[in-house]
Amino acid sequence: MRGETATAEWHDQAELTYTTLIDTTHRVTSLYNLTNVPSGILVDESGRVRRIDDGAYSGALQIGDASIGAHDYRPIVRDWVARGENSEYLWTSDEMVERIRRRTPDQARAEPSFKLGVYLYGQGDVVLARTYWERAQALAPDSWNFHRQDWNLTEGLAGPKLLEKLGALDEPFYAPLDLRGQGDTAPR
Amino acid sequence: MGHGRRLVLAFTSFALAGVPAAAQGAVTVLYDDQVIDIERTLADPNDLWVVPEDLPRVNRFELKPEGACLDELCVPVVQDRDSEMFVTRGGQPWFNVTALARRLEQAYVADHDRGIWSFGQIPVTRTGFLGSAIAPDFELPNRQGTMVRLSDFRGKKVLVVTWASW
Repeated sequence: MRGETATAEWHDQAELTYTTLIDTTHRVTSLYNLTNVPSGILVDESGRVRRIDDGAYSGALQIGDASIGAHDYRPIVRDWVARGENSEYLWTSDEMVERIRRRTPDQARAEPSFKLGVYLYGQGDVVLARTYWERAQALAPDSWNFHRQDWNLTEGLAGPKLLEKLGALDEPFYAPLDLRGQGDTAPR
Repeated sequence: MGHGRRLVLAFTSFALAGVPAAAQGAVTVLYDDQVIDIERTLADPNDLWVVPEDLPRVNRFELKPEGACLDELCVPVVQDRDSEMFVTRGGQPWFNVTALARRLEQAYVADHDRGIWSFGQIPVTRTGFLGSAIAPDFELPNRQGTMVRLSDFRGKKVLVVTWASW
């Protein structure tokens, strides 16, 4: 939510050559069991997912003391485009199925709460929207999107809150990229 | 049919002699990111009841003699008498959307004060993605408002990147 308003000016000047779509309700996150942005998904010509949940950064970013992202994702995409099925970065169908995130019952219950909050926010009921977002956050505390959408709607809150939560993490912000094409052949 | 409904019925003028009557009201349903306004519901503090004709608009299911069906999926529904998912009030059949959701282990949440029901996904409809990594299709607008589907790109390689401005 609010992403289009915040970025339209730059988006329209950039004359992008790729398709951009507006997803105010976080539909893609919901359908693909994602938890954060950016997330990258490779979908092949037949409509099958070949990689999922990658931190799809174009490079490394420094936010405060935290370093987010890596330069490693672009080569993965380039290799797949150039070599297709021969790309070593593609996951086998068994690996693929194993790596798709499963939702716990609580995480499944968080979804309709979050969506109800999105709807109420759109109706102008910010206080009640936040009630349902907080419920979603409590049910699915690992979903960054549920937190970040909420923080984003209070001016000046998103940055500090992200840093605070990042600082408290005992695991990487994103799982490390699987880079088997560069010699790491062990499954993650 | 809990205590709450009987309480509501005491104030309705819709009651027919000898037949449990139905208080009715409009609700909003959030389903698959669609916002669906439903004019007629059976008043119930716990469950969402709609007329069978509204069911496809709510969740794409259709009430057939064999049950409530979505594509190949059919959930048996007792319809020759009142049951968990089906009742007749004043000659009007009603279908219990939330009882169907519970049967299918589909999460939902209601804001009763505002009459809004929000539904999650039906796990059994997700097996293509979870079991075979088939990319779930979606349709979203671009800046011009034109709807674009993922499946429009079938035959090409697609990199989907979610991004936000926060």
